[in-house]
Amino acid sequence: MSKKKWKERLSLTALNVFFIALCFATLIPILYAVSVSLNGQNSLLSSDFSFIPKNFTLDNYRAVLFGEDIMTWFKNTVILAAVTVTLSLAVAVPAAYCFSRRRFPGRRAILKCLVLLNSFPAVLSMFAIYRLLRPMGLVNSRVGLILVYTGTMAVFSLWNTKGYFDTIPVEIEEAARMDGASDMQVVVRIVMPLAKPSIVVTALMVLIYVWNEYIYATTFLTGEANYTLAAGLNALQATEMTGSWPVFAAASIVVSLPVLVIFFLCQKHMTSGLTAGGVKG
Amino acid sequence: MKSRKRATLYSYAWSGPSLLLIGLMVVFPILYTAYISLTNMNVYHWFDFTIVGLDNYIRALFVFDSGFLSALLATILWTAMSMLFQLVIAFVLASLLNIQKLRFRKLYKTVLMFPWAMPGYVSILLWKTGIFNSQFGLLNQWMEKLGLAAARWLASDVSAFICCSIVNLWLALPFMIMIMDGALQSIDRSYYESALLDGANWLERTRSITVPAIRPIIAPAVIITIFTTFKQFDVVYLLTQQAGAKTGSGFHTILTYAYENAFITNNYGYSSAISIIIFVLLIAFSARYQLREEGDR
Repeated sequence: MSKKKWKERLSLTALNVFFIALCFATLIPILYAVSVSLNGQNSLLSSDFSFIPKNFTLDNYRAVLFGEDIMTWFKNTVILAAVTVTLSLAVAVPAAYCFSRRRFPGRRAILKCLVLLNSFPAVLSMFAIYRLLRPMGLVNSRVGLILVYTGTMAVFSLWNTKGYFDTIPVEIEEAARMDGASDMQVVVRIVMPLAKPSIVVTALMVLIYVWNEYIYATTFLTGEANYTLAAGLNALQATEMTGSWPVFAAASIVVSLPVLVIFFLCQKHMTSGLTAGGVKG
Repeated sequence: MKSRKRATLYSYAWSGPSLLLIGLMVVFPILYTAYISLTNMNVYHWFDFTIVGLDNYIRALFVFDSGFLSALLATILWTAMSMLFQLVIAFVLASLLNIQKLRFRKLYKTVLMFPWAMPGYVSILLWKTGIFNSQFGLLNQWMEKLGLAAARWLASDVSAFICCSIVNLWLALPFMIMIMDGALQSIDRSYYESALLDGANWLERTRSITVPAIRPIIAPAVIITIFTTFKQFDVVYLLTQQAGAKTGSGFHTILTYAYENAFITNNYGYSSAISIIIFVLLIAFSARYQLREEGDR
């Protein structure tokens, strides 16, 4: 073999080793949690730690699934997410359709304003929203959180679906209108099926947002029966003094799994849905 | 004329629910915060607060030891450092992942996406407990093995800043790698072939072909990332500032600073003033970079 070929092979091997090491290093926090969650309590503080559990046990998962209220929290989160996603789409799609197809006074001004207003960080709105929801008795309630989440994601949902509606040719709709279809029929039968990719991406982003939101959930919800998964996990946290790190690790894995599955199943849609604007620019 | 009016009404009716929700959850909080920022509302004046004019703004902007200006400086430094490291590391990794002879590059890419796929707060808490915790964190276990003294990683300002930066980098790199990867793939190979014929070395090729070619493609994503980095709250809050579990570090971004003044020390007037200052900064920035392209659509 020639010298050049050898050199090439050597550098490729080095590159592979580098990437394997990098992938491993990236996964360390997750792998460590997985390993701790599968390990018996007592081996935790021994210093000769390895990533392969020594006292293999599923006790921590059993404690999470049956000992804690995680099933209640799971149910709360699913209800919250389902209603928020449905409501988000129900208000965003008609609005996006109007902003995309119709011309009315204030249209451009509203669109521009929404982009600017949306830069106000949600964390900073919390105090004002608290003052708004409290007199209505909506602070420690599901309805309150649904309103907060839908409102917070409303600008994104509107812009994202509107952007996609803009790319659908108007001619398709005009043909249907000639045949006597009403606005409602045009949107439901023609535009929505064509806009499916962007509607799916919007729904997924709202779903993931609700699943991952913790600051409103921990501030507004009191009482373990009302917790979402995020609020519950927050309460389970192992601090320097209290809490069980193996149980918390197991709970983290359980909570993350659905999101991981959704992400990797839809990765292609997500990345193209999010970068479409960038590639065009 | 009449039918046009009807059409307008009709459009507003269809957009109504969405605009109403935005009005309640986005517009109202901003207006209310602006109003509270002019009052002395705090834990002692919860209902009987009075208008104090611009006092809160003066305190934030001109009293140096109020902490706002140092938080702002720390946030700018934090954003600049994060962006620098993100862009350089993502560029190098994406370039390496684009070497055609690397057979498993799809697999590597998938694994490297994990930090993005995980729920953010879960990852941050896992870093906090699994890596930085002084008793059972991996870092201290390794320190022990090397015969070094265990440290409280999140307790002092500088080391908390570094720890937060590392976690933020870990969280943000996958997105940047993906953007860079997409941009690199869009470059026409023939440019490189003719450059190679002209004898251009790697540095010259990067400078005069790669960087100009990917810059317009990655620009929107980079601007969005600058925003999210500047507005970063989760990493700093969850690692060091959690109520009841403060680590003692004084590192604040402007967002955690505003949060602390509202919810820990209950100084609502002052916190609102800071929120409005942050909002003005963000608007100035987004008017410059975001509006021009998005408004035209």
